[in-house]
Amino acid sequence: MNTIQIIFSVFLKEYKINLRNFNNVLTFLFFFFISIFVFVFAIGPNKEILNHTGVGILWALLILSSTLSLKKYYQDDFENGSIIITHMSGLSYELISLIKVFSHFFFIQLPFLISLPIASILINLEIEKISLLLLSFFIGSFILSCLGSISSSMNLLNKNNFSLGSIIVMIFSIPVIIFSVGIVNSEENFLPLLKILTGIAFIFFAITPWVSAFCIKLALANK
Amino acid sequence: MLLANKITYKRLNKTIFENIDIAATPGKIIFIKGNNGSGKTTLIKNLVNILEPSGGDIYWLGKKLKNNLFNFYKSTTLILDKPTSSMDMTIIENIIFWKRISSSKINEESINRLLDVLKIDKYINTKTMYLSQGEIKKLELTRLILEQKKLWILDEPYNSLDSNSIELINDTFIDHVSNEGAIIFSSHYEPNLKNLEILSLF
Repeated sequence: MNTIQIIFSVFLKEYKINLRNFNNVLTFLFFFFISIFVFVFAIGPNKEILNHTGVGILWALLILSSTLSLKKYYQDDFENGSIIITHMSGLSYELISLIKVFSHFFFIQLPFLISLPIASILINLEIEKISLLLLSFFIGSFILSCLGSISSSMNLLNKNNFSLGSIIVMIFSIPVIIFSVGIVNSEENFLPLLKILTGIAFIFFAITPWVSAFCIKLALANK
Repeated sequence: MLLANKITYKRLNKTIFENIDIAATPGKIIFIKGNNGSGKTTLIKNLVNILEPSGGDIYWLGKKLKNNLFNFYKSTTLILDKPTSSMDMTIIENIIFWKRISSSKINEESINRLLDVLKIDKYINTKTMYLSQGEIKKLELTRLILEQKKLWILDEPYNSLDSNSIELINDTFIDHVSNEGAIIFSSHYEPNLKNLEILSLF
């Protein structure tokens, strides 16, 4: 009971901080929309090509813009040591990283999910496929949150080269992009692809707490 | 309560400190004295299990610290040299957060009195990022009273404080020790306190 209360209050703190920095999220969204525009203008007025490549572009840009948020993932808590204080209240580092994954998912990825229907108008996506896009992004963005946790915990001691974290995320997100784009573009049966994507999500959900906690401990010891 | 038996810490074949014995029993103030870079912070990190000593053992209530970690954390307040308050939250939000995660039963009246004594009560709804260094440090030190723990471990508690606040902290220390508490703290500045047990690092 007590632990649940502590988890809840840590989550509430994350919510407050993210709400106050909501302009950050808006900037990521703005980046996302502007880059869609850039792509649409670069491709030109040919509707045929846009129909073929639209979903792929959308997914690639989603990954790129969600990597922008990685800088704030653990860095602030790690720099001032409040991650130690949270740990001393009785939460293991594994649990803390799980809370972080969920708060990243709710406060950074869900705004993207909400804005996706508008973005899909820009790339001329058929209306029936929007639900598939939302479904694939719902699962895929959770994987991205897990990956973000891993890469930013690996990068805690690396203060001046932040693009390294984005590279780690992008390498591991290749399977995500393959299966998510496959789900939206599949002609009739998308269920097998969806199952594989969910499987990947569960794999990352299982390994993320351990990897992140190990990296955080290592970083704290070497600070 | 906390017992360190001949702990040694080495990093990259360089010995930071060697054969340190610490026995924090109720009613005792242990002062870790040392120059800059003499390993005060490293010793404190060893004591709270952020770093693992290369030799020697640390015990909490008779059991090894590693096997008894969360019991140890339940009765310890750790004040680091950097302020752990969140810059995006106001003073009172930070305090409520700390109160919740430490499951302390302190009432609102004593929180108000505490803020009043520290003279940060007028900034209660100000975000921490707009406060001065000293005020942030004072906010950090409220955790000592808020969390109501037995053992206090502090790293450089006197940094960026004025002389009045230093007096106040010394009084708080004496008060805590007379209530069967124990304190371990480090500083390069020797405080004006009686019954100090001095541990020198060179």
